[in-house]
Amino acid sequence: MTSRRAVPILLDNLIWLLLLLALIVFSTLTGRFLTVFNITNILVHSAVLGIMVIGQSFTLVTGNFDLSAESNLGLIAVLGAFLMTASGEPFNGSGIVLSPVLTLLIMFAVGLVIGALNGQLITRLKMNNFIVTLSMLIIIRGLAFLVTHGKTVTGIPEGFKALGNGSLGPVPISVIVLLAAFALAFFVTRSTRFGRDLYAVGGNIDAATVSGIDAHKRIRQVYLISGAMAAFAAWIELGRLGVGATRIGENMIFEIQAAAVIGGISLFGGRGTMLGALGGVLLLSSINSGLNLMQVSGFAIDMVRGIVILAAMLIDAQKTRYASVSAQRAIGKRGRA
Amino acid sequence: MIGRGLEGLQAASIERGPLHAMDQTPKPGSLIVEMRNVTKDFPGVRALSGVDFQLRSGGELRGLVGKNGAGKSTLMNVLTGVFPPESGEIRIQGRSFARLTTTISRQLGIACVHQHSQLVPSLSIAENVFCGSLPVTRLGLVDWGSVYSQTAQRLGSMGLDIEVRRKVEGLSVAERQIIEIAKALFAEARIIILDEATAPLPKNEVEMLFGFVRRQRDQGAAFVYISHYLEEIFELCETVTVMKDGRNIGDYVVSDLTQAELIRLISGAEVERFRHETRSRAGDVLLEVRGLDRPGYYEGLSLTLQRAEIVGLTGLEGCGKDSLARALFGMEPRGTGQVTLEGRPYHAGSPREALNRGVAYLPRDRHGHGIIGLRSVRENVTLPILSRLANILGFVSRRREQALVRDLIQKLNIVTPSMMQAVQFLSGGNQQKVVFAKLASVEPKVLFLDEPTQGVDVQAKTEILKIIDQLSREQGVAVVVISEEIRELLDICDRILVMFKGRIIREFPAHDPQTTVESILHAVEGTAAE
Repeated sequence: MTSRRAVPILLDNLIWLLLLLALIVFSTLTGRFLTVFNITNILVHSAVLGIMVIGQSFTLVTGNFDLSAESNLGLIAVLGAFLMTASGEPFNGSGIVLSPVLTLLIMFAVGLVIGALNGQLITRLKMNNFIVTLSMLIIIRGLAFLVTHGKTVTGIPEGFKALGNGSLGPVPISVIVLLAAFALAFFVTRSTRFGRDLYAVGGNIDAATVSGIDAHKRIRQVYLISGAMAAFAAWIELGRLGVGATRIGENMIFEIQAAAVIGGISLFGGRGTMLGALGGVLLLSSINSGLNLMQVSGFAIDMVRGIVILAAMLIDAQKTRYASVSAQRAIGKRGRA
Repeated sequence: MIGRGLEGLQAASIERGPLHAMDQTPKPGSLIVEMRNVTKDFPGVRALSGVDFQLRSGGELRGLVGKNGAGKSTLMNVLTGVFPPESGEIRIQGRSFARLTTTISRQLGIACVHQHSQLVPSLSIAENVFCGSLPVTRLGLVDWGSVYSQTAQRLGSMGLDIEVRRKVEGLSVAERQIIEIAKALFAEARIIILDEATAPLPKNEVEMLFGFVRRQRDQGAAFVYISHYLEEIFELCETVTVMKDGRNIGDYVVSDLTQAELIRLISGAEVERFRHETRSRAGDVLLEVRGLDRPGYYEGLSLTLQRAEIVGLTGLEGCGKDSLARALFGMEPRGTGQVTLEGRPYHAGSPREALNRGVAYLPRDRHGHGIIGLRSVRENVTLPILSRLANILGFVSRRREQALVRDLIQKLNIVTPSMMQAVQFLSGGNQQKVVFAKLASVEPKVLFLDEPTQGVDVQAKTEILKIIDQLSREQGVAVVVISEEIRELLDICDRILVMFKGRIIREFPAHDPQTTVESILHAVEGTAAE
């Protein structure tokens, strides 16, 4: 009886087991892995990815995705830097030198507008979410280039950068923000009507509609969240890097989706938790850091990432099968009793 | 649907067999399928234990019945090579196998037609029929002329006059089903398993299908017909195999059995037949529909529902009975006309608005619109009422939610290991009860149920009828049951309305001795002698 209950719990929390395994493997292989400095480093590197994964997970739970997220991050970051800085070399800014507060408002507004556009195209014009967000991925990256014509923007005000590079005592602010954001996202998806509706929409959109849920409204809302999260991540990223560049976030979408999927968020919707997604983020960051410390080449790191995603899908498939078998077992037992 | 069974009883009795189980009275003809001592385990469950199963060559119509989980589908999955058995022997046309694969099974002429369409919607009928074996010209190109002409000729020989270039996605569920069965026959299948094939079919097309199946039997094909509609077993089959708890408890000649006997064999106990008692009502009108018109769907519909009343709505496929329910629930445009609920004008533009006014709907298509299979029993049940369970901050109270769901699980007798179980793993009857629990949780005033007992076993059917009665009796819900199972309507309803070509043409009081399955069937067919 104990093992029967333990196995599903184990499978649901497999991501934490994998994370533990990764920590053990890397700390055995290199002495520099399990140090306060490196762990802090892993968490700091997780911040931007993590915030992006939150936005992506909201769309994934409803059975959609937002491929444009990485370009969105890039455009908002470079635009934010551009608006706040002086013109000419070496700043390459607009010369407007907007206040950080006003800049942030504009950054979030841009994120929300892009999110709204995605949501409207998908739900009102019934366009396929893959094509819509793929097109937006390309268009927005182009827009990001247009802002500075590829030049790197420097001279971002210190106050603005605090979120990305500041710390409260020994703890980086970005890490606190990351954990708080995941905690909030976890409770919103798990315990609010809004969050529960998202799982219903992703699980079976028709049944959700018959149950009185406005599925299209929910889908528009998750794209707004995805856009807002891109703006939030851009804020952290500018602080961490200290400069604005056109290429920020490029090719990040694979890592974003991989982290969510490894954490148990299903690409088909309706399944997975934000806590699991956080686990996925930490696992990917740990693997990156561990392999970097071992001075493995970048190509090999990419390969390992691919293998990790495959492994995650394998585990997910097995998990579904196990759930089916154990359910039959439990019901069969009940039936005979 | 039940009426069909009554006619079937007479049809089946034409061919009377000796009055004992078949094992002792071998018919002429060698065994085409012989499964011996087949055992199949799923972890923790023995799905089949030592099952013997035979089919004779030279044409046979075999029914295969049993409760959900009795092992019918598992046995057929072993025969079609989907599951390898743990032990036992399978002999087909004299060749012995320890296990089959789907390829070998198909090559041996075994085909299975499922309830859910396996056709490719975006391809034409002809392309679907020839899927995987398209004829080619000498140049290696697809010989479209031959594809279309052969398909038209073959379908024509079945009495199907249909444009073979039409895409399958434009067909009705009924038409798809028929094409699919035809396709299996074209592939030279000699042993055809019909797995709940008639569940989505309207009555007149079931008869067309049965006529076709009988003709093929006469040509020497063997059919295994799995169905929960026992009336159809009596109508179509000559022999029936009854399964219970993974065992074959016997093969019987259908004409030796009564329906009550067959039900007893299936359930192992007498299943009580539920009968709803009409209660006196104070004429408390709840919902009033006046002159509802939607061109192409229904016209001039007027009906009045009283509190705690159960009304049956029946008619042929496409008569408008289900469109009416979906329109009043806000899923489809409802057209022109007056509707009042509790004396106030009622107009629902979406399911949410309907639910807010206390109008709920049980969709016919359980998997498509009823349940969210991935999610738990708890989450499915409380889906429409989450805002009611939320506190000021918007967080859903887990404690209140669990109490409510626990209560409903108990009240509706839902068999599930826990409320956290994903609904997709429950049996059909229990899935349907979960949908009922969801509807009950919104505490509706008016309930529309579209084929509420479709695809559930005989015991679960009775339980579902009891739930409907309970909702109406205890909460005063006015219920509209939309169904083609006329005997069930007679059991559960106070009165039955018959729709024909978009109009309500007759009303039958359910407990009037003048009201019979036959009289209602005549009205359903539009042939009532007025």
